[in-house]
Amino acid sequence: MKPADQKDESPVYQRVVLKNASPYHYMKVCLVLENESTRLSAVELKQFIITGLKSLYGEVGAALNFDVLKYDADTLTAFLRVYSRGLVKLWSSLTLLGSYQNQACAFRVLQVSPFLLALTGNSRELQLD
Amino acid sequence: MSVDLDHTPRCLLVSDRSSFLHEKNRINSQVEQLNFNYKVSLLLPECGSTPSHLDSMLNNFSTFYLIRKLPIYELLDKRFLETAVYQGCVYGLSYRTRIDEDICVALMPNGHLCLSLDKDSFQVLGVEGKASRFSHRTKSRYVVSVDMTESSMVPGGRGYLRLLTGLKSRLPLKSDFLLSHHPGGGASLQALLSRYDWSEHKPEVSTHALTCLSCPTQLTSIPPNFDPHSFLEWLGAVDADISCENSSCSFLSSLACPEPKTMLSQALRVSVCGLLLPQDILRLIQEIRCYLDQPQLQSWVALTVHGFVDSPVSWGGREHGALRGGENFYTLLMGEDHTYHLHLVTGAHDTCPP
Repeated sequence: MKPADQKDESPVYQRVVLKNASPYHYMKVCLVLENESTRLSAVELKQFIITGLKSLYGEVGAALNFDVLKYDADTLTAFLRVYSRGLVKLWSSLTLLGSYQNQACAFRVLQVSPFLLALTGNSRELQLD
Repeated sequence: MSVDLDHTPRCLLVSDRSSFLHEKNRINSQVEQLNFNYKVSLLLPECGSTPSHLDSMLNNFSTFYLIRKLPIYELLDKRFLETAVYQGCVYGLSYRTRIDEDICVALMPNGHLCLSLDKDSFQVLGVEGKASRFSHRTKSRYVVSVDMTESSMVPGGRGYLRLLTGLKSRLPLKSDFLLSHHPGGGASLQALLSRYDWSEHKPEVSTHALTCLSCPTQLTSIPPNFDPHSFLEWLGAVDADISCENSSCSFLSSLACPEPKTMLSQALRVSVCGLLLPQDILRLIQEIRCYLDQPQLQSWVALTVHGFVDSPVSWGGREHGALRGGENFYTLLMGEDHTYHLHLVTGAHDTCPP
């Protein structure tokens, strides 16, 4: 409890500019499979991406830590989080993943951003029809 | 030649901390400068339903119009210029055009018409413009920015006729177009709307009640006890319905709420989507300040405003592009004593926010 005669601090104005300071990057990806009725669980999806990292970057690459933040099993769409320094490795692994259990597949990278909030406010999703 | 695999494109996060009562705060100017807003998200802690005055405010955002296959030269129509553009406060943006692939058009409230074109289209159009500041070695993108209130752009003037001829015969651009006018709504736009297929739209409001939400404590403390990236990540997780209750050894995800944290028994997430005007957002901020003046269980409200990814302009009419994300948004965390933390975010193809 402050003394009655102590004045409140006057409001301050402070600005901080941070450049390239985001520790993580976030990706919204969608898996497209040859057989459209195939379904994967979140764990199977993460294991599949790890095999892609391993095939391109070896054991050290497969140890790259990334998170599957959210996964929709119906649309095979996932939100991924990876350290910024690992983004290029993860993205290139997704690009070169071509087959899942002997069927052709492709990862569509829908959006990439250093901020998770940006993935929830993409104006390309605006539907007015 | 070794390649730097750790490199990521430039992003900027500007964090302002001040008070609405401080004479140097520029919050009004910062909000007004982002002309084309797509989504407003509101997070109200310890709140089960939207307070009536906030609900009324959210449901009364200005309506906007979608004109299908609008020939862009119609934006130079003399009557449209006189009744709408010269009066100020017309907001127009091409719809379903991608800034990195297609031609994008924006009409700003100060009467500036901005076109973002690929190289071939720019050369065919034959109007003065500049190479995009974000294309370095190969100039693949050009920006034509015209002030329709200038003397040379008066109907019949030399600049006006050149642009009109370019858009009518050399490069007949047609695009679906979003249009809004403030104040007064569509009355001044009727002449233009009546000639084409158009529809009126009300911004879509959606509400989502949350229970048992982990939340960082002392969000509005001075100095802040969290770094802005952690706060924005937590807020993004709340907005996207992503769980923050993961242990560090979990296989799928280790995302967790920043510490120290508390548990909110309930919270309300409200979002509004459409072509949203800065004037409506400023009024919403005033209503939230009044809401926080009343006694509350929690002493803060978080407001996030997203700009359009494919707009050729961002804050203050400065050029905007989408390298990978095209993000241009801001988050305003308001406290009960009129203090605020404002976080402005832009991507690689943007200049520093104001």
